[in-house]
Amino acid sequence: MRAPMNLGKEKIIPIFAMIVLFIGIFSTIYVHANQIEKDTISINGQDYTIDQLFSIGKIRVIETDEGEKTGISLDELMSTVGVGCTDCYKYTIKAKDGYQQTVDWTILKTGILTDYGKVYFPNTAHTLWVRDVIEIEVK
Amino acid sequence: MKNLKLLAGILVFGSLWGFSECIIGSSINESGLPTGAIMTGFFAITFLVISRMTYRQPGMQLGMGLVAGALRLFNPFVGCHLCSALAIMAEGAIFEIIWYRISLDLKELKPITMQISMGILSSYFVYVGGYIITQIFTPIVSGSGFFIENLISFMPNILSSGLIASLIGAFILPAVLLTRKIDLRLKDRLYYPTTIGISAFCWLFVIGNWFLLS
Repeated sequence: MRAPMNLGKEKIIPIFAMIVLFIGIFSTIYVHANQIEKDTISINGQDYTIDQLFSIGKIRVIETDEGEKTGISLDELMSTVGVGCTDCYKYTIKAKDGYQQTVDWTILKTGILTDYGKVYFPNTAHTLWVRDVIEIEVK
Repeated sequence: MKNLKLLAGILVFGSLWGFSECIIGSSINESGLPTGAIMTGFFAITFLVISRMTYRQPGMQLGMGLVAGALRLFNPFVGCHLCSALAIMAEGAIFEIIWYRISLDLKELKPITMQISMGILSSYFVYVGGYIITQIFTPIVSGSGFFIENLISFMPNILSSGLIASLIGAFILPAVLLTRKIDLRLKDRLYYPTTIGISAFCWLFVIGNWFLLS
């Protein structure tokens, strides 16, 4: 004869498992439905194509733990696009899948934006690297 | 003596888990497959459940997470050492919480529906929980600060990515429980040389590669 506690678990655990599967399925549908397709990157409220950014930015090579990465330097870029007091703000880098990271100027100024739309920083956790960038919000 | 045996068990299973994260995880990552979900759903759940089944000792899996996370910090193959190490350490702790009310002889897990359900729940929450923990703590530890809006905006992706881990777990946990009938115990005179030897191999292999590649 089974203990009542076990009977409870035998009912509750499969129900929880079903709920978890539904959460996973609905989240997957939501993510795919809300994927933002955008060819431009919005910086401080203005839209730029990657080509435009590379034409106004300064190329820099940085060393990361995944090797050398080449792109336009973010510190020069912020000044070029008209951010006045660069170290007065925080910068939120947003990706098309909803991923975003906020960094202050001391980190941002070390970073680059590559021609495939990925932001890298040297000597930081990869959590701060953002791919498929669609916006850099200055706030 | 029992505590020493348990410590050796934590060391060997934690080292095997860390080793698989470092070495096998890198190969999976290069192939473009969802590394995190596969590593958690397959390897983490396998080592965590086998150790639970063999040693029947709550708290052991927490220790395994700490050992595996520490080893992950030395991983030379895939970047983001800090994020992965934090995630692995959290995974051990989350597993302990999920399995807290499951008896040590696993008698509740006799029906196959319970095995599949626990596989789904364990893999999903271990993976999603580890993911969330690393998204919170990595920015804090690395000095950029944690911003809740960043986590909220990415939450649907995190919840979605746990689906693969949960489906793998649904198959892996029943498969691991099938091995209950195999006697994994070692004779006393072989226990320490084997556990320490395997652990040493895992650590030397990972650290040796770190030196070779750096």
